[in-house]
Amino acid sequence: MLMTAEQYVESLRKLNTRVYMFGEKIENWVDHPMIRPSINCVAMTYKLAEDPQYADLMTVKSSLTGETINRFAHLHQSTDDLRKKVKMQRLLGQKTASCFQRCVGMDAFNAVFSTTFEIDQKYGTEYHKRFTEYLKFVQKNDLVVDGAMTDPKGDRSKAPSQQEDPDFFLHIVEKRPDGIVVRGAKAHQTGSINSHEHLIMPTIAMTEADKSYAVSFAIESDAEGLFMIYGRQSCDTRKMEEGADIDLGNKNFGGQEALVVFDNVFIPNERVFLCEEWDFAGMMVERFAGYHRQSYGGCKVGVGDVVIGAAALAADYNGANKASHVKDKLIEMTHLNETLYCCGIACSAEGYPTAAGNYQIDLLLANVCKQNITRFPYEIVRLAEDIGGGLMVTMPAEKDFKSDTKVGRNGETIGDICNKYFGGSPVTSTENRMRILRFLENICLGSSAVGYRTESLHGAGSPQAQRIMIARQGNIEAKKELAKVIAGIKE
Amino acid sequence: MICGVRFCGGCNPRYERGDALEKIRKHFLGRVDFPYAEEDVVYDLLLVIGGCSSCCASHCQYEARGDRVIMWDQSHIEEVINKIESIITDQRREII
Repeated sequence: MLMTAEQYVESLRKLNTRVYMFGEKIENWVDHPMIRPSINCVAMTYKLAEDPQYADLMTVKSSLTGETINRFAHLHQSTDDLRKKVKMQRLLGQKTASCFQRCVGMDAFNAVFSTTFEIDQKYGTEYHKRFTEYLKFVQKNDLVVDGAMTDPKGDRSKAPSQQEDPDFFLHIVEKRPDGIVVRGAKAHQTGSINSHEHLIMPTIAMTEADKSYAVSFAIESDAEGLFMIYGRQSCDTRKMEEGADIDLGNKNFGGQEALVVFDNVFIPNERVFLCEEWDFAGMMVERFAGYHRQSYGGCKVGVGDVVIGAAALAADYNGANKASHVKDKLIEMTHLNETLYCCGIACSAEGYPTAAGNYQIDLLLANVCKQNITRFPYEIVRLAEDIGGGLMVTMPAEKDFKSDTKVGRNGETIGDICNKYFGGSPVTSTENRMRILRFLENICLGSSAVGYRTESLHGAGSPQAQRIMIARQGNIEAKKELAKVIAGIKE
Repeated sequence: MICGVRFCGGCNPRYERGDALEKIRKHFLGRVDFPYAEEDVVYDLLLVIGGCSSCCASHCQYEARGDRVIMWDQSHIEEVINKIESIITDQRREII
């Protein structure tokens, strides 16, 4: 049963999720001005699913039940499904210019589904059956699930079991006949507060000494002992300013990250999908990371589409749209953005079926995709700033443009002065020029830069993580043989 | 006549797909209905509206007695209208 966007927002109100910000508990977090834009982003994943013009990407038939479900809860059944996932993400990036947060759950579903199948094959466990039942529950209720992987990690030179504080990695502290008790945290969790449920995975490959850290499970977001501390974003308190609109750049949408703390949380057996089988932690991590590195070839491209559009509008409003170097910069931005999309589509087209039956992306190409994502959005925003001009960071506040305080010899107000001196090409108003420049400020170095820049760098794994995977998958020995044949080397 | 409509998902359309449907709908006002396609309904025709040349809309799940008319560019609107007109004409001939 698909939820509407309104039903999704109302469903959040029914949760007792514990959220803390600025040192205090936030009681009505659904309507909090700093949180609500991120909820609106997730709501868009429901809204578009209702619209016939987008349903082909947003909805799909469940492989488990045959019912129509939101694609975010789907197990990919083909390379076509993988491609449509990327296209859906591009679409949502275009509609929100933000991170819409629901991808981590989708990527976790597919990674846990295939990994549990293989754990059961080796150990005779029943994780796959449990997970399949859980996913049917998620699909039936059209839930948002935070796929949570990243532990705080403490001293990066040490394994989980070697850490000074054992809680630096989430771990099992007690095993009971009916379930397990876990302790620790998951850091910078995208959309965690906006999620009905959390699906937890280990964060790195492990050895036997780390087996109590090899754990995967699902839990309600408002479970006993679970709470979240909201992550700050650059310029975030602008959203708290009374009547704020233009200065926000993107008033209605935004991303969200939080620290999710597990303070001795009980997990019933039917929701445990990995419990000390340490030799499968790496597989789960690698598969999730692969899917998530593919995801960025869709979502960031959609945001990039909006950035390119905004830069082109800024050029129009500045009267610089006919300058050849501006045209060339827009071409370069488009080239970079579409290259990212090519990577997302390529790793999908080269996907393959897992033993469990769902489709996995091509790992090498997905890692190449994400490696490019760590670079190209930075160049795209650099070019956007170049085209936009310095005004995007030196312009007075929206309140100045609207001020009727008299300051001029002839009675001109602050608003009159601002609107006069910050006017650009006569094709548009000063306000529209200000709106597009504020959007660029927000995406290049304001609160949305969290999603478009730093998340592009570190989300789904930092650049070095992809380089390790590229080295593993790069097939260098075969390439040496090719060179030997061409060069006439016989050895 | 009832013509089921299926849009692609619209990830990067090169034209306004909704406007294209409205133009086609307006041309056939009172003669052809254009509901959004649903499964378990048999349509006289199916109109698939893609946003670009890949035209990746899924439509095999829908049933149509007649043709599946597929478009992916604004310039196809006229062609689609002509195609549906010719289907209507052919049907009339069959009845006569």
